[in-house]
Amino acid sequence: METFFLTLYVLIWPVLVAGVLFGIARSFLREWATARREGRRLI
Amino acid sequence: MPPVLGDGPALMSGWLMIGLLVLFFGGTFAMSVVIGKKKENADGYMTAGNKVGFGISAASMTATWIWASSMYASATSGYNYGISGPVHYGLWGALMILFIYPFGRRIRKVAPRAHTLAEVMYVRHGRSSQLMLAGSNVLGSLISLTSNLIAGGALVSLLSPFTFQQGTLVMAAGVLLYTLWSGFRASVMTDFAQVLAMLGAVVVIIPVVFFAAGGPDMFSQGAANLTPQQGDFFSSDAFMNQGAPYIAAVLAYAIGNQTIAQRLFAVREDLIKPTFITATIGYGATVIGIGMLGVMALYLGMDPLNGDTNNLIPQMAGTYLGPVLLGLFVVMIVGALASTADSDLSALSSIVMADIYGQSKGKGKADPRKMLLIGRITMVLATGSALFFATGQFDILDLLVFVGALWGCLVFPVIASFYWKKVTNAAFTVGTLAALAAFLPVRFELVPMGGATGYLVDVVSIVGIGVVIGLMAFGFFGGRVAKIAGTAAAVVAAPFAFGTLHEYTVLSGSLVAYAVSTLVCFLMSVRSSREFDFDTIAERTGNFDTPEAIQAAAVSTK
Repeated sequence: METFFLTLYVLIWPVLVAGVLFGIARSFLREWATARREGRRLI
Repeated sequence: MPPVLGDGPALMSGWLMIGLLVLFFGGTFAMSVVIGKKKENADGYMTAGNKVGFGISAASMTATWIWASSMYASATSGYNYGISGPVHYGLWGALMILFIYPFGRRIRKVAPRAHTLAEVMYVRHGRSSQLMLAGSNVLGSLISLTSNLIAGGALVSLLSPFTFQQGTLVMAAGVLLYTLWSGFRASVMTDFAQVLAMLGAVVVIIPVVFFAAGGPDMFSQGAANLTPQQGDFFSSDAFMNQGAPYIAAVLAYAIGNQTIAQRLFAVREDLIKPTFITATIGYGATVIGIGMLGVMALYLGMDPLNGDTNNLIPQMAGTYLGPVLLGLFVVMIVGALASTADSDLSALSSIVMADIYGQSKGKGKADPRKMLLIGRITMVLATGSALFFATGQFDILDLLVFVGALWGCLVFPVIASFYWKKVTNAAFTVGTLAALAAFLPVRFELVPMGGATGYLVDVVSIVGIGVVIGLMAFGFFGGRVAKIAGTAAAVVAAPFAFGTLHEYTVLSGSLVAYAVSTLVCFLMSVRSSREFDFDTIAERTGNFDTPEAIQAAAVSTK
């Protein structure tokens, strides 16, 4: 049981990182598309 | 047996390392060219116009806060303190971002178009307060820049045939190349690509190393390599030596770091909360995750190369990753150091542009063209200085402790200055200097800590615990809850802390700094008749690069 929880403890972090990465990338692409549509610079 | 660092020829050929660095810095330079303008705007160079969206802001906050040293330090914490070590490093580092956001909203409300916190302090108090904050910002960014160049040089020399000096030089030149022209705009834009590379690498590398190193079996086979404290998730060793000093530093690093303030002034005001929450999770998960490499090294019974725990991460990567993933690992570390180094360069240039040149001339009188030139010259000089420190024998960690303490001394005076009309310039200055004077003998044990002195330090430190918890609660819940939480924390901690806290000098030094600055600043302000009008800040801080300023500069040139 301890081995299971330690494995979960090690591998949960990349899963969380993947979630954050997805959120940031999706928002960036939406902002980029909006800026392009409105003919302005992204930054 | 796979090849191990220091065990023979370099793991990566010189050409492969060159190829990766050219790809990385070439790509970021191309991005900066795409967003570059022939005539950059001085305010854009410092804050990108105060309306950056969520995607770029969250990426930039995350990338900036994750520096190469934090990855190495988290793994070191895992190796030294066991399974809870990375949490005691990464969690509190992540909370630095979270706990600053309620204050950040207040700061943006009071100073919507400012560029630096020190610039606001100039309007709020005057020159001495501004210079203390700006000076600590400059030192902090310079140390961070140096540390990142050192990390880059060490990585290159560990994995390839190139020397440490060659590594630091390439990193410095690469970062300067893409940041110099567009400043902060280039920094945040390239942060997005760097965060993709860094976080993407973390997602792949941690599970690959885990299974290559034996997977779940390593926990049963290597359990004997851990002491009882290292195997305990609630280790008091890990908490007292790693976690607690970081809790005390949570607000200090957030207040003292201009890279955070710069992003705070850049992001669209309504996006401050989601940006900071996302960066908190992104930073925490990434750094704790990388720290797991140190925990794995501990279970595997690995000895750090040359006894230096900073070599653990490259050692684990070199031992368990194939050539392709080793390349990805290099990109991850270079991404971490470059994203923080470019932010430090932008922060340094902003401080010199806004706090030294801008404030000396006054709003409406500073020449925006000259301001940009000064910002770019600052970047070149800062890079040269960091290279000098990186290749010298300076112990930057000692300097970092000193700057961290200075930031701790500034926390209450800075925060109170944004909420309390009565805080005066004298209270700010004397409070900060008194706290620094009290910190130095405690942290560096300049006086014997036995007997009455030790008990006095304990009592002041207990007050410091109340101040830290009170300030954290104040940001989210206001003054009433802050007073209750602060008092409760001090009362609960007192029986455990009294008689022992002075033995933990890193922790008690920070707590003394908080307590003394708060007490002196409060006592000097509470009876003052000053009633500062916060609307003054918005009126006196703002854009430097306006048509009127350009016209005035043109007239004065003629």
